[in-house]
Amino acid sequence: MLNTFVFALSSVVTHIGLGMLLALGVHRTMTRGTKYFVRTAYFFPFLVSWAAVALIWKYVLDPTFGIAAYYLSTTTNWLASPTWALPTLIVVDWWHTIGYTFIILLAGLQTVPAQLHEAARVDGANAWWRFWSVTLPVMSPTIFFATVITFIGAFQIFDPMVIMTQGGPDGATRSIVQYTYEKGFQSFEVGYAAALSLVLFVVIMVVTGLQFRLSRRWVHQ
Amino acid sequence: MRGKLLDLVLVLGGLVMIAPLVWLVVNALSEPINAFQLPPQWIPNPPTLQNFHQVPGLIPFARMAWNSLQIAVLTTAGALFTSAMAAYAFNRLRFPGRDQIFSVLLAALVVPVQLTVVPIFIMMRWLHLVDTTVAIWLPALVNVFGIFFLRQYISSIPRELDEAAIMDGAGHFWILFRVILPLARPGLTALGIFVFEASWNNFFWPYIFLSTPEKMTLPVGLVSLQGAVGGGPAVVLFAAITLVVLPILILFLIFQRSFIASIATTGLRA
Repeated sequence: MLNTFVFALSSVVTHIGLGMLLALGVHRTMTRGTKYFVRTAYFFPFLVSWAAVALIWKYVLDPTFGIAAYYLSTTTNWLASPTWALPTLIVVDWWHTIGYTFIILLAGLQTVPAQLHEAARVDGANAWWRFWSVTLPVMSPTIFFATVITFIGAFQIFDPMVIMTQGGPDGATRSIVQYTYEKGFQSFEVGYAAALSLVLFVVIMVVTGLQFRLSRRWVHQ
Repeated sequence: MRGKLLDLVLVLGGLVMIAPLVWLVVNALSEPINAFQLPPQWIPNPPTLQNFHQVPGLIPFARMAWNSLQIAVLTTAGALFTSAMAAYAFNRLRFPGRDQIFSVLLAALVVPVQLTVVPIFIMMRWLHLVDTTVAIWLPALVNVFGIFFLRQYISSIPRELDEAAIMDGAGHFWILFRVILPLARPGLTALGIFVFEASWNNFFWPYIFLSTPEKMTLPVGLVSLQGAVGGGPAVVLFAAITLVVLPILILFLIFQRSFIASIATTGLRA
């Protein structure tokens, strides 16, 4: 359960942050070719199924013949290390899902009216100030939406754990949905599994409700 | 100048993003003794298709591809049809309890599918449908998100059009299929692409319901192939993954605009 929380929280924060940087980077003027390449390259992994992603990355991260170990010149076996396994899965999740966050935020950026930026520029606002007081408020509903969706998605994470680590080492990456699956379909404690599902449901409802409540403070209507 | 530098960073980042996929394809095309070399080879030398020929010997690949396709097509067609009907009813018809039922649907939207798997598994066992592809597509025929999404879409279509059709003596089916749906085509396309993609890539549901190799879908098949390959060089596994990933890549490059629009408008997450 704690793993799921750690995963959800860190993945939401990093996804929104990185996705925003990417969206801002691509939203600027760049040549058509560059824009096409960048958009395609970052978005495509999202369309690859988690099963394929998990299998590919298992090999990419392999300490003896994986490209990650070679280019980072280490022999750490990330997936077998209780400290590194969860952060590693978070990075793999970036690779898979960042394109999605990025597209949503990019769509939001495109709704920011250019006149507002012009007006701020005339008033002498610098780039950072324009971002903070024009772009962010106009985009806040999009950011809010992306945050809620990413949170709910992160709470339901299952595929990479099952395929890459089986929840190990020593439970370091076991997620709540995976635990439910193990209880319900491997040790056939269906009642216990149903109870776990209910707990997950309540947690998602509470967190989502909290997000909606807090959103009144910062989301621009 | 600073803009160029940022472009360069973004392009380099993009190359890092696609590197694992390039590595996948290169190894799939390499002979086992040449695969997985360090430093990594980025061009297969000499390229070979022999790994692809070995895939069907280890898992019933064609059968699995057919299952995946069948499930994805049925799911997409079913979800579009039921969503359109329900969305029309919730937006254009008046009946007692309409808004209450819709609120319940909205609440169901936050319930993750993972939570429903235990009760649905029990139902499927009753119906003797466990380990059949029916267990995968039957519950997916109604898509709560689709109803919600299309209702939003339909509510933006002016009611004067229906009223004109009613004057001409049209019934509800005629209005829905001849007036509303043609106008809602971008919404239907976006939803269709997304449902199809989510079904094609779905792992959780088939993983739980299917155990016979002949009935599995591709994502589950890939994971079972991992066991068949064992600890040896995984070139055959890489060949199989390539076969699964490539069609989506090609579809995406052809329909890139609609794919991206479908994400931006539906905001659905697989």
